[in-house]
Amino acid sequence: MQRRRWAALGAAASLLLAACGTAASPTPTAGGATPAPGTAAPTAAPTAISGSATLSGWRSSTSEGEALTRTLLGFQAQYPDIKVDYEPLAGDYRTVMITKFSSREVPDLFYVNAEYAQEWIDQGFLAPLDDYIAQAGFDTSQFFPGYASIFKGKDGKTYGFPKDGNTIALAYNTGLVPTPPTTMDGLVTLAESLKGTNDLKAPICLNPGLDRGLAFLYAQGGSLLTDDGKSEAISTDTSKAAVQWYLDLFKNGLGMTASDMGSGWCGEALGKNQVALIFEGGWLDPYMGDQFPDVKYAWTAVPTGSSGSPVTISYTVSYSIGADSKNKDQAFVLLSYLTGPDGMKTWTEGGVALPSRGDVPIPSGKDVLAAGSAYARPGSGFMPGYVDVQKAFQDAFTAQLQGKTFSADAVVAATKAAIEKALSQ
Amino acid sequence: MVGATTARVRRSQATERRTEALHGYAFIAVPMVLFLVLNIGSVFYAMFISLWKWNVRSGPVDFRGLRNYETLLSDPIFHIAIRNSIYYAAVWVPLTMAIGLFLAVIVNQKIRGQTFFRAAFYFPAIASSAAITMLWIFLVAPDGLFNTVRAAIGVNPIFAFFGFDPNQNWIGHQSTALNSIIILNAWTTSGTFMLFYLASLQSISREIYEAAAIDGATAWQTFWKVTFPLLRPGHYFVATVAVIGALQLFDQAYIGGGPDGAPNNALMTPVLYLYNAAFSQFNFGYAAAVGIVLFAVIFTATLVQRRLFGQAPSW
Repeated sequence: MQRRRWAALGAAASLLLAACGTAASPTPTAGGATPAPGTAAPTAAPTAISGSATLSGWRSSTSEGEALTRTLLGFQAQYPDIKVDYEPLAGDYRTVMITKFSSREVPDLFYVNAEYAQEWIDQGFLAPLDDYIAQAGFDTSQFFPGYASIFKGKDGKTYGFPKDGNTIALAYNTGLVPTPPTTMDGLVTLAESLKGTNDLKAPICLNPGLDRGLAFLYAQGGSLLTDDGKSEAISTDTSKAAVQWYLDLFKNGLGMTASDMGSGWCGEALGKNQVALIFEGGWLDPYMGDQFPDVKYAWTAVPTGSSGSPVTISYTVSYSIGADSKNKDQAFVLLSYLTGPDGMKTWTEGGVALPSRGDVPIPSGKDVLAAGSAYARPGSGFMPGYVDVQKAFQDAFTAQLQGKTFSADAVVAATKAAIEKALSQ
Repeated sequence: MVGATTARVRRSQATERRTEALHGYAFIAVPMVLFLVLNIGSVFYAMFISLWKWNVRSGPVDFRGLRNYETLLSDPIFHIAIRNSIYYAAVWVPLTMAIGLFLAVIVNQKIRGQTFFRAAFYFPAIASSAAITMLWIFLVAPDGLFNTVRAAIGVNPIFAFFGFDPNQNWIGHQSTALNSIIILNAWTTSGTFMLFYLASLQSISREIYEAAAIDGATAWQTFWKVTFPLLRPGHYFVATVAVIGALQLFDQAYIGGGPDGAPNNALMTPVLYLYNAAFSQFNFGYAAAVGIVLFAVIFTATLVQRRLFGQAPSW
């Protein structure tokens, strides 16, 4: 009884929060895509389903909202019997969603960031989709494994499909870098030649954490976990050498954090010509076009390190169905359209993110980033408690940078302890 | 006869008192119920949750007894959060009280533009903490106004003596992050404390000052021997509000250093720690335990302050 009262309070709070957001139903806009003739429903069953489904997520930009509206119009044309209520949530998405989970009043279909997908699966917030997949005969073979694997629970069940993805690549200022490096050694040589020139604060903008550092760790043959994912591998000699190599980029003045340059993130540092080389994803493109249209840059793959093979990390977000959703059938039809080839094509043409499946054409200008999808390893959500591991690495790494000691030992020790703690829980 | 009358009078007085009391209770019933349910009730409910591994959707998962508290009290990051909090309170509270009192004494004088100064000093307090923290982050950024100005006026050698780079990343460096937030909050909150002190100052009777003047007290003596001691209720109120505020530091730390309390936990506070436990680790029982510990600390701090400043002046 008492819990229900608190649930009601939570509901009231979430209503308040929801009221702050702008609820928007898809309305026709100029240029709205109509589905190509001949794209019939995969089976007869989904078209027989009618009703409504609410869809929620965050909305990071206007172009994101427009792309989603176009995609939903495509859905509406194909499935006229299912009405979609699109309600983007304003504010801290994770917090708002938790108030909704606690009151058991959830949107039917919503975004789940890979970063906390494992936790949400463990907490029982998400509905397993295996029965729906089997029933509808939904083809899941086209999803890139680096994206799709994150949304599988410990029980082996599927709790969502990646709505899109993004990979990390090297963006370089074409005015300063005529030929981009293809190896990590080449990157260091290039950075040394750029150091102290062109009023650069540093040649490379680097993050003091695993959100980018993981790509370097993998490239240099290191890892956080053993291949079976059951124990830590950060304390191996290779991993330690990789962390030291990353620290040395800072030590030798080749790399600097955005914060130390007075920028909010590396994209801003590239735009302000503080650096010539940054490691970011597709979200850089709309930002640069908007904020720094005069800065010319291009993409190239993350340089190959001592591991010898092309390496990058990827980030993704799923569409998942709430465990407490009252319209799961309708939500799954919507989910299978949005993460299917037609819906994802319309969505990724908006330029916000890359397709997370191989049978969707690569949006223009995204070739380099999209090529990474095939071999990328997950940048988050691949182990439980990864947030704490990231924090431990970043805290220790920052202490080494700011204490000017640049020793990998303390970073490795702190990360090792955090991984072991996370794995034991 | 006389005895019976007295008894009747006494009875009717008692009835009257009871009726009056009932009216009183009726008046405070609604706020009291809200207080009991929303404040006291939630404290007890949080105590209950803190003994469990708790799922926000389905409720209790398994009983943990005091183990949430044990884990909490042995977590080094929580220790850092507490240490940061104590440091912040120890520096920020006296600093801000001193500035607030100083400003209050100044604007309490009969000076030209009194209203303007009162408004001006209070101004930072009306800006939202998020907005003013963002403003501050830009001001003290490596290429921000503060570093530019100190280079321009040639005081960098002094800063270099204390080990600060010309383009010191004040909020981004572990050794200066918390002090940057202390200065920011001393600036934004001193206006509010000025207001509290102003109210207190104006309750001191003019006759006491006249008496002091007749006795030949200097302005300095008057302040230390008359004004300062008589402000004791004001000190108590301001100090209590300040310490509670200090222990609940969140927005500025979150905006300045993100949920991790970056750099290297320099901006980790107990409330930020609680937020992470709940919304990043989804460990609600544990988060409730943090809340209860924080409650106990604030409650104790308030009782101690009551002991220190709370009694009526003894003269």
